[in-house]
Amino acid sequence: MKTIEILDAGLATTIQDLGRPHYQAEGVPVSGAVDMLAYCLANLLVDNDEKAAALEFCFRGPKLRFLCTTFIAITGSKSQPVLDGQPLMLNKVYKVQKGQTLSFEAMISGRYGYLAVAGGGLLTTPVLASRSTTTRLKLGGLAGRILREGDHLPVHECLVLPSLYFREFTSEKEVVKQEQVMIRVLKGPQWGAFSPDAQKLFLEGHFSISQQADRMGYRLQGPKLPVPRNNMLSEGTILGNIQITREGLPIVLLADRQTTGGYPVIATVIMADLGKFVQLDSKKEMYFKLISLDEAVTAVRGQYARLKEFKQFLKQKRYQYPLGPARKTAQKIEYLLNKEK
Amino acid sequence: MGYNYQFVPVGEQSLNIVFDEVIDARENRLIHSLADVLIKTELGIIAVIPAYHTLTINFDIFQTDFLKLTTKITQIIKNHSLLTSAERRRIIEVPVCYDEEFGLDLKAVIEHGCITFDELIQMHTSSPYLIYMMGFMPGFAYMGSVADPIAMPRLKNPRAKVPAGSVAVAGKQTGMYPIEAPGGWRLLGRTPVRLYDPKHPEPQYYAGEYIKFKAISKTDYYYIQKLAAAGMYELKELN
Repeated sequence: MKTIEILDAGLATTIQDLGRPHYQAEGVPVSGAVDMLAYCLANLLVDNDEKAAALEFCFRGPKLRFLCTTFIAITGSKSQPVLDGQPLMLNKVYKVQKGQTLSFEAMISGRYGYLAVAGGGLLTTPVLASRSTTTRLKLGGLAGRILREGDHLPVHECLVLPSLYFREFTSEKEVVKQEQVMIRVLKGPQWGAFSPDAQKLFLEGHFSISQQADRMGYRLQGPKLPVPRNNMLSEGTILGNIQITREGLPIVLLADRQTTGGYPVIATVIMADLGKFVQLDSKKEMYFKLISLDEAVTAVRGQYARLKEFKQFLKQKRYQYPLGPARKTAQKIEYLLNKEK
Repeated sequence: MGYNYQFVPVGEQSLNIVFDEVIDARENRLIHSLADVLIKTELGIIAVIPAYHTLTINFDIFQTDFLKLTTKITQIIKNHSLLTSAERRRIIEVPVCYDEEFGLDLKAVIEHGCITFDELIQMHTSSPYLIYMMGFMPGFAYMGSVADPIAMPRLKNPRAKVPAGSVAVAGKQTGMYPIEAPGGWRLLGRTPVRLYDPKHPEPQYYAGEYIKFKAISKTDYYYIQKLAAAGMYELKELN
């Protein structure tokens, strides 16, 4: 099997996919990509199945050598990818020739980046129907751990990609220039257990992501909320739950969260804003806005509808050749030359 | 039957079915029966997480929504026969070595309950415990309820490391640590069985089933540990 070699693993690079939602009743965390939308987009760009495993990297990206020809797409954090000295754009497909090296300059903003590889993604052995890595359980991925220098990631070679020249996703640039970022939330199951003062402080206070932020969850800094006195019985947790600790500070639960928890959940970040939240820089301040269930449903459906439209668009372009005959010939010659090598 | 419950949205793709906030075996068994029924329906449910008095449901927002789903679930709960025809629940035997080397809190619990060492073992192994829920980590079963004399509150300052296999109590609950982890439960002993194996993480027991502990000697402990390491030990079903 062909592979991609890790020359430098970066800070915390792991293999992730959609995760393991079906074993939560047995206490197995879901895991999977922290920024699910960015992960899905990366797979879509390289024409992969939505379950195809991708590389997730945190802050500092890895350095990789491709030992076969394929196509790649990088999404998520503003990670400044460079292919053999040539800067690449995000959210766009590139062909990678056998022997080429991909590296990353210093990250401009964001936290988690994704690299999808065409031909079905990274082909490590699935565990409990997923290739996602949960490092604290040594589960999935490559030996259940963060990737290291010298690791080889199995992939399929991929020589052609349909509608190649349309595989670029441009979204209306959301201006996150303003100092405070709004994160929309729904009332959590224990919202009513908090005093009106605590609720008010939660919605009016400004928070930022603390240093204690990882794949399990982000602890936030900000005003301390009065905590309900009663202990509650543990119950199931979900992605985006905002727990309030005994010190009165919020933790937002993410991909590697425990399946049950005993801290009261004041609110839940809506799915449509979770991608924005997980990529926030620690310097950025945020505030929470309470919205209705209907609004949240509309927002998340809208977000995935845009991906679906893009997928549809790529399908339509499949048999179209908008390129001049010269370009097409150039592509063919390039292919033949590489075959010679 | 008359169960009190309500539906509480947790997110746009999740809801809780919340019953009375008590630790009650009858109520908890209903939650597990309901979980079993719901996961087999084609209502767009992706996953369920049963807990003491709640059932958390994750659903696919492209197939259903809060209103549609809660209407259907209400009908299912009303249909008693589905839930009362509870299938057989397994009782699984877990061997435990109650030795001071493993049970770092044995002395404290014996003092707490004013009982003898033999009485402690007898109390902890005499009857099967219902697995109320799984959580914390894969294979961590929250079970109950233990006899009052051994129901010692958890440590004020949790240990930084509790070894894998430790069997412990915390108040009326008892549980097992499948992986080394920080923890404040009172350690009574250790099982040689591999409760979690990252290469074969398939669950060996489920919430709603029962665990019965069996006291074993240290010799047996090391013997079973060897078998387990070679993948040749399987948990015994008692029924």
